[in-house]
Amino acid sequence: MAEMEVKQSSKKGPGVKKGKKLSTRVDLTPMVDLGFLLITFFIFTTTVQQPTSMNLNMPKDTKDPNLDMKVKESGSLTLLLGKGNVVYYYEGNDPSKMQTTTYKEVRKIILDKKKSTPAADLFVIIKPDKDATYKNAVDMLDEMDINEIGKYAMVDPTPDEYSKIQQTEVAAGIK
Amino acid sequence: MGRAKIKRGSTSVDMTPMCDVAFLLLTFFILAAQFKPQDALNVTPPSSVSNKVAPQKDFLNVTIDKNNKVFLDMDQKLKADVITELGKERNISFSPQDVKDFENTGYVGVPISQLQQYIKLTPEQIAKTDLPGIPVDSANNELAAWIGAAKAVSLGAHLNFLIKGDDAAKYPIFKAVVDAFKQNDEFKYNLVTNAKQVPEGSELYKKNIREQLEGKKAEDAKK
Repeated sequence: MAEMEVKQSSKKGPGVKKGKKLSTRVDLTPMVDLGFLLITFFIFTTTVQQPTSMNLNMPKDTKDPNLDMKVKESGSLTLLLGKGNVVYYYEGNDPSKMQTTTYKEVRKIILDKKKSTPAADLFVIIKPDKDATYKNAVDMLDEMDINEIGKYAMVDPTPDEYSKIQQTEVAAGIK
Repeated sequence: MGRAKIKRGSTSVDMTPMCDVAFLLLTFFILAAQFKPQDALNVTPPSSVSNKVAPQKDFLNVTIDKNNKVFLDMDQKLKADVITELGKERNISFSPQDVKDFENTGYVGVPISQLQQYIKLTPEQIAKTDLPGIPVDSANNELAAWIGAAKAVSLGAHLNFLIKGDDAAKYPIFKAVVDAFKQNDEFKYNLVTNAKQVPEGSELYKKNIREQLEGKKAEDAKK
């Protein structure tokens, strides 16, 4: 470590009292430590802050029913996003079979569907309703990425589905 | 014979230059770090597994805050052209001073009719006022006009459309924003999110590992 004391040589004659000189040198090691610590801190905090983005491609709105995508009933899974972070889902096109789940458990349902249907037929329909939040929609799109679902679409729920969700919500007391 | 004496050098090193370097670097990093432009908008974006970095150039950023209000920000170099174009479309004449004021304003948070008063405000005043946001309802979708103006001035050059929504924003408002883009025939957006780890054991996780292994094999084969 850096030296603290400097040997003092006496040049004065005998009997002359030495005035004790204090060293002016300071140990700089802790200061260097601190400096590098701060540098590391700043480097880490600046690089981590980069926001990421998720690409989203929406189809063009079309009024022509011939251009609508045909989905096989056996391969479709409809996920409805409702109030209070609740997901409703049904397979095929029979909304009366609607069941309730949460965002944590929905992955299992998606995976089960993925396993049970041929890859070419699989189609997930995401329907966020009026009370769903933006986070819900992004979470669900993210879930498609995580589970590698190639084909999915985001559309509005039909009035039938919406009223059914509301009935369920009232029954379950979700506000 | 006397043993040769090894002269012991002092083990202490003079720390002064090292200290100088450390603090010089420190000062450099602090000054060079891009200070986050004072974001008066307090928005917490949702997280996703996507690891693509959000584009920082040629962007048009639509922000939705937690009260479902819509704000617009854009690349600094686009601002002057966009406001002039918008003025032409809406028959509002913006003076050169107005254009300058607009360039100094961070984001737009008012209907076009209030724009001229709005750009005169200082950032502190803007932070204090309760902004109405840009109207996006289907009857009066002013956001679409803004996007149209930005498209018109970029002359076909690629623009990055960023949408940054708050966790608590409602879905219909997001849909309204997307509709505004759709009206302008734009279908590709970047949703700004916070990065999150890919959940272990999921399909994507397995795929990433597979790709890593394949990448390694390819590298080994090259060797």
